[in-house]
Amino acid sequence: MATDFLGLLKAELFLLRKRTSTWSILSIWLVVTTIFAYGFPYISYRSGSSQFAESFDSMLPGALVQTMLEGMPFYGGSLVLILGVLSIGSEFGWGMWKTLLTQRPGRSAVFGAKMTALGIVLVPFVALAFVAGAMASVTIALLEDAAITWPGGQSLVEALMAGWLILAVWASLGVILAMATRGTALAIGVGIIWGLAFEGIVSAFISGIGALDWLVDVLLRANGYSLVRAISGNGPMSADGPGAFSGPYVSGVQAVITLGAYLALFLAGSWLLLKRRDVA
Amino acid sequence: MASTATTATAAPTIEQRPQPGVRPVRGTRRPVTARPDGPGALAIEIESLTKQYGSVRAVDALSLNVRQGEIYGFLGPNGAGKTTTLRMLLGLIEPTSGHMSLLGSAPGSPETLAKIGSMIETPAFYPFLSGHDNLRLLADYTGVNRSRIGAVLAQVDLGSRANDPFRTYSLGMKQRLGVAAALLKDPPLLMLDEPTNGLDPAGMADMRQLIRRLGSDGRTVLLSSHLMTEVEQVCDRVGVIAKGRIVAEGTVDDLRGDEALLVRVEGLATARAARAALAFVPGVNGVDVAVDTLRITGHRDSALDAAEVNKRLVEAGIAVHELRTDRRSLEDIFLTLTGGGVRHGD
Repeated sequence: MATDFLGLLKAELFLLRKRTSTWSILSIWLVVTTIFAYGFPYISYRSGSSQFAESFDSMLPGALVQTMLEGMPFYGGSLVLILGVLSIGSEFGWGMWKTLLTQRPGRSAVFGAKMTALGIVLVPFVALAFVAGAMASVTIALLEDAAITWPGGQSLVEALMAGWLILAVWASLGVILAMATRGTALAIGVGIIWGLAFEGIVSAFISGIGALDWLVDVLLRANGYSLVRAISGNGPMSADGPGAFSGPYVSGVQAVITLGAYLALFLAGSWLLLKRRDVA
Repeated sequence: MASTATTATAAPTIEQRPQPGVRPVRGTRRPVTARPDGPGALAIEIESLTKQYGSVRAVDALSLNVRQGEIYGFLGPNGAGKTTTLRMLLGLIEPTSGHMSLLGSAPGSPETLAKIGSMIETPAFYPFLSGHDNLRLLADYTGVNRSRIGAVLAQVDLGSRANDPFRTYSLGMKQRLGVAAALLKDPPLLMLDEPTNGLDPAGMADMRQLIRRLGSDGRTVLLSSHLMTEVEQVCDRVGVIAKGRIVAEGTVDDLRGDEALLVRVEGLATARAARAALAFVPGVNGVDVAVDTLRITGHRDSALDAAEVNKRLVEAGIAVHELRTDRRSLEDIFLTLTGGGVRHGD
């Protein structure tokens, strides 16, 4: 049984490795996160803009954890949402479900292998982002003759885990949207709008309605940023720039529980849809 | 779900539901004991299978049995319910009601799927992977040793293009890769849905030869098709499906019925006289008269003697304007059974 699952997992990892979209999204993510976290702020700092002058320290290696994590609930989430959509939605587009589900493994095993492979692929997404951030921050420190100090090992491990959880939730949102819409285009559209606009609009709208305040605390964005804040030592977060979030925040524990619940909910919903639906 | 002793009585036969112009099917409903591996064992048992989509009944109380080792033609027009039935057999679609058993197991279970190779409609593969890599992925999926990939690619004559991306394949190559994927598990049961769709005549001939060869290896093949010639050339037995129901089942010879003689004489009165003259001719089983034409059928075990018929008519003073053999083509039978029209006397 375990051998069977390993074979399936091997097949799914092979597939993700061979997919151009995996490498494209990873490349875009690394470029975007480096530019937004270090490139633009540094150029702005060098050009004397007051916007980033006060946040010079955030560009140094010591602030790597917070600086890198801040991008994950925003553009990181949107990009891996596309990865999640493509990993499931493309199977509908290419008519692959009928091929895959008539081999030997059952639907649950196929879904489990696909999701495990997707989860594994997210590890280098997080890790390489930190590597890119570290290289950028060291470069800036060397250029500015600033001291190079690194975050503690535990802090880095926690950051990697938190980053993975945030990205996994967004990827699983992509998975359930693709499964629900049986395709990619609508799923990506809905997901991106949800991530980039809808949550912000909902948050702004209901924050004035006392009875619905609790809703803000369960939004993906709020919990993602709350986890980032908790991992970063509950310090001040960037309140401007792309993807800036100014609260309200929940505790780190609550954020982990809420994000974990989202992950479980999205995966269980997707599994149920695959399990119960006819493959036409 | 283990197979039990079953008689193949569930599927409606022509005897049960007479069709105009079609003779009863003989020898198709003989009792078959469903022992998993013994002679006469059933590879596929379907009983009262129904699939309802809203108000549309795609498959309607369909029953059929496929014996192990035979090539069974599942013949029907487009939209008759063939693919829906195959999808239910493979566990892709949940039936509304009915019973199915494949090689003694429930459809869609891992144990069953391990023993079935299938190609449903147009073969689907990852377009960015080569044919070889697509099969490698499926080999990992099924737990088959990757060393089989080369063998199945050679079997469908695709070895030279194995490393090209699937998206660059012609339709014929895609079909052949589909068959290669179906053979990867070396399964005892193959289900092929319109495998010659889109192929050129040479490709169709190659594909039919391959299917025939696969069948002669002792595999059971369920071949779905809307092409009469294909089924006629390849299959041991045929089930005709129309509007979701099996309307006839038997060998191609069974379905075509016995050979007949057509005799044209001068008018209805002469035709009636001719019928009387032929009443005691050896080998003649029945004479039907329509206007100026007699249709003479013989006993199944003895051929009609055209010369003897002609002699008797001439002796009776009846001028024979035309005398020729007549046997319905499978196409006629198919069109009659599926409501697509009837052509007589071809």
